[in-house]
Amino acid sequence: MRMLVIEDDATLRESLASKLLEEGFAVEQAADGREGLYFALEYPVDLAIVDLGLPEMSGLDIIRQAREQGKTYPILILTARDRWQDKVDGLSAGADDYVVKPFHYEEVSARVNALLRRAGGWASSVLSADPVKLDMSRQDVSVNGTLIELTSFEYKIIEYLMVRAGEVISKTELTERLYDQDFERDSNVIEVFIGRLRKKLDPDNSIKPIETLRGRGYRFALERNQSA
Amino acid sequence: MSSLSARLLISVSVLLLFFFGATIVVLDTAFVSAGEQAREDILDGHLMQLLAAAEPNDEGALSLPIDLFEARFNSIGSGLYAELRGDANSVLWQSQSALGLALPVGETPALGQHVFAREELSDATPLLTLSLAVQWEFPGGELKPYVFKVTESLDSFNAQIAGFRRQLFGWFAAVALIMLLAISILMRGLLRPLRQVESEISEIEEGKRVSLSEDFPTELSGVARNMNLLIDSERARSDRYRYTLDNLAHSLKTPLAAVRALLGESTDTGFSERVNEQVDRMDEIVRYQLRKPAASADNLVLTPVPVEKEIDRLVTGLRKVYRDKQPQIETQIAPGMKFRGDTGDFLELAGNLVDNACKWCNKRVRISIEPSSSSRAIASGMNMLVEDDGPGIPAAAAEALLQRGTRLDESRPGHGIGLAIVKDIARSYGGKLAIRSSELGGAGIVVSIPPVSSAS
Repeated sequence: MRMLVIEDDATLRESLASKLLEEGFAVEQAADGREGLYFALEYPVDLAIVDLGLPEMSGLDIIRQAREQGKTYPILILTARDRWQDKVDGLSAGADDYVVKPFHYEEVSARVNALLRRAGGWASSVLSADPVKLDMSRQDVSVNGTLIELTSFEYKIIEYLMVRAGEVISKTELTERLYDQDFERDSNVIEVFIGRLRKKLDPDNSIKPIETLRGRGYRFALERNQSA
Repeated sequence: MSSLSARLLISVSVLLLFFFGATIVVLDTAFVSAGEQAREDILDGHLMQLLAAAEPNDEGALSLPIDLFEARFNSIGSGLYAELRGDANSVLWQSQSALGLALPVGETPALGQHVFAREELSDATPLLTLSLAVQWEFPGGELKPYVFKVTESLDSFNAQIAGFRRQLFGWFAAVALIMLLAISILMRGLLRPLRQVESEISEIEEGKRVSLSEDFPTELSGVARNMNLLIDSERARSDRYRYTLDNLAHSLKTPLAAVRALLGESTDTGFSERVNEQVDRMDEIVRYQLRKPAASADNLVLTPVPVEKEIDRLVTGLRKVYRDKQPQIETQIAPGMKFRGDTGDFLELAGNLVDNACKWCNKRVRISIEPSSSSRAIASGMNMLVEDDGPGIPAAAAEALLQRGTRLDESRPGHGIGLAIVKDIARSYGGKLAIRSSELGGAGIVVSIPPVSSAS
């Protein structure tokens, strides 16, 4: 998942970015409104974290323009202006949730995961498609109740596929959304990781959770137990 | 007395009363004295003619003819009488008109003197008399004293004066009435700009206009201009106040957020927790102090807030935030209702209450808002009730919850501060906050903002 963090305070922005990276997200950072708007419109983004008080251009304007340009990814507002008028303005402009400064990172993380999950149509933080279960808050995956050991990159792939269960995700998209910065990475690596994931989740090839669509990409094929 | 036109009308009436009163007195005095003078002249003429008509007779006395030159002397009770008295006031002759009347004797004038006097008949008829005492020299050289007297009844003269006075009062009253009417019409025209100022100020209070118009007469244009400057500066002050608070909040809270982020990287958890506690305290202070109400109810530059629209925006926003919980939020808002206050303050009231209700509810939240009014209100107040079907708030905890920073459940941060802010804002509008239980089963928080009355 590729996050966009638009925040002018360098300490806060870098700290947020490094925590998100630790959680396995790819992160783009913008330090002012103009740069933020450019990233928001031009980069493949799964979720944007936008500070409202930015130099060059306000966070509200970025949100409005992104929505006007048809961007549908979730947007989380960071606001020091604690007034309800600002929150309501932000939500009306197209944001999906807000976090008031000074926040605990855990709060941001919880909101981010909830927004990503909702964007994929999931109502709960436990994505369940029998017999596979993925717990976004604990970042673990189980099959038939047995926890599966996954590397962080493997987890990122299965999380991305499961959040958007049923949708076809191209290799390019997976590369873009999961790798930080380096889009040129060999897409064969994705194939290798998908192969490993299949082995771990479905060693006897009976449930076939990940489908390959030749020339188009991959799809998480199991049916969701619940949706929003 | 509060009305300028009433003051002016009463002053003008009093002035007219004095002016017309004095005029009436002067005119009346002039008329009466001119009338009296004319009557005296006529009496003098009659007396001269009487003297001319008197002749000595053969008996050595004066005699006057039965029929006199003036017809009124010959007609009984005509009001014009003549008399000739001799020695010791003995009546020697009376005109036919005085038949049966006892003319008053009056004072005997000194020889050769004309004396005018006011006397009365026995039936109290007022008389004007002219007496002349003469010594008549008879052919033998004998001198005898006589008094010639002519008398005229003043009845007709008095009636004439009364008629004159009636006409005088009638005309002056009519003129005074016409003048007052004209003045009141003139006043309406003259005071129209003032009434326009008043109605434009009302429109500003109701949010229908932003400033006073500029087409006032010269005398008022300065007032209107200064009023507009005042309104502009009040608006600018209000905006500056909010902008400063926002900036202050931003510049205080971003470093706090950075401190907290840096603490997250620290490996010394004990140290992090201690500093985090201090960050929490600072955050609470900043939140509480910087979310002071932006306005109060008696602020002239307030624009009425369209309640339905703002609640709709708030509810739509909160539905996004609580998408997982999916609370059923019902709204019952009086159609077209306006809140006379600052939009930020209104959203602060509603936002805190509805957010709390969404946090605590099981499924249902109900927002009911209706206007409150009174007979003297120039703008209605508001009763806002936000209910939920959550666990409710025990009565004992309710008061504590209203205190700043008291949290009933530490696991849901910010609850106490939100209510304390709502309480502060309600108070700045002269209103109050109450906590009760709701028929939905949970808490019901009521904010009552009183109407703005004309006296405030």
